[in-house]
Amino acid sequence: MNGEKSYRRELKKAAIGIIAILPMMLGIVGLVGIFRAFVSREMLAAVFTGNVVSDTLAGTVAGMIAVGQAIVSYILGGELLEQGISLYAVAAFVLSWVTLGVVQLPLEAEVLGLRFTILRNTLAFVFTILTAVAAVWSAQWLQ
Amino acid sequence: MAAVTGPQKAPRRFRWRGVKFLSGVIVLYLALYFWREEQTMEALRTSLGVLAEIVPILFVVVFIAGAIHYWLDPKKLARHLGEEAGWHGWLIALGAGILSHGPMYAWYPMIEDLRRHGLRDGYIAAFFYARAVKVPLLPIMVHYFGWPFTLFLSLYIVLAAWIQGWIVEKVES
Repeated sequence: MNGEKSYRRELKKAAIGIIAILPMMLGIVGLVGIFRAFVSREMLAAVFTGNVVSDTLAGTVAGMIAVGQAIVSYILGGELLEQGISLYAVAAFVLSWVTLGVVQLPLEAEVLGLRFTILRNTLAFVFTILTAVAAVWSAQWLQ
Repeated sequence: MAAVTGPQKAPRRFRWRGVKFLSGVIVLYLALYFWREEQTMEALRTSLGVLAEIVPILFVVVFIAGAIHYWLDPKKLARHLGEEAGWHGWLIALGAGILSHGPMYAWYPMIEDLRRHGLRDGYIAAFFYARAVKVPLLPIMVHYFGWPFTLFLSLYIVLAAWIQGWIVEKVES
């Protein structure tokens, strides 16, 4: 398709890009392992106090620190709801779990720049709270 | 810090990134090993499991990045996702975010590469936030939280992703 390009060469360039960040990626994977082994579900649930406002903020922060598959956050969120935690807090927790990540911040800053990383994550933090609250309001309004 | 600030034409020299960070994590493991041996070994086993999960995703990322470079002319790409792009650029960024799988950091190299070819920062912010919509997991979310919440959350995530991308564009301009 393109005379000057070879697919193999382009693959090699892409692979080199991944290989170059392997140390950073291995470090993040290592932190994920530490988090999962040392921070239990009970410890995460303990940050909620019953106050909707502070719980929503706590949910955002807990989700930001937590790592793992999104499905785990849904299951954990379902358990929190059963324990009487407000849907606002659970929604913020589930959403920040997948949109924010303290563990991956060093790699994001290294690859995309510190300024962009701070801006993106600050916006994501604010919008996670707003989105969670708006979704709960809308769902309650419909019901 | 090797922050990429815009389109660059100079060839990159290979260098390992994050060696100090990895060294710090290794030191942390050693310190934790002497404190809680069993939990540290569990952490190590978990990390190896996570690594096994993301390796196939990294291969997918390499193949996608290679294909994009091979089939797409950087100038055309810049037109679709760069300064000249319009609403269809937002649709591509949001759609790609919704359809992408795996951890966010697995996509960093490809995003960095596209950014070098002119990908706008607003699209990157929108892409990353739109990833919160997990289409295959929607039935599970409905099961736990009900369909009205799932529906509104998904819609608002896409809207929030677009607004964040727009704000990033405004701040950077």
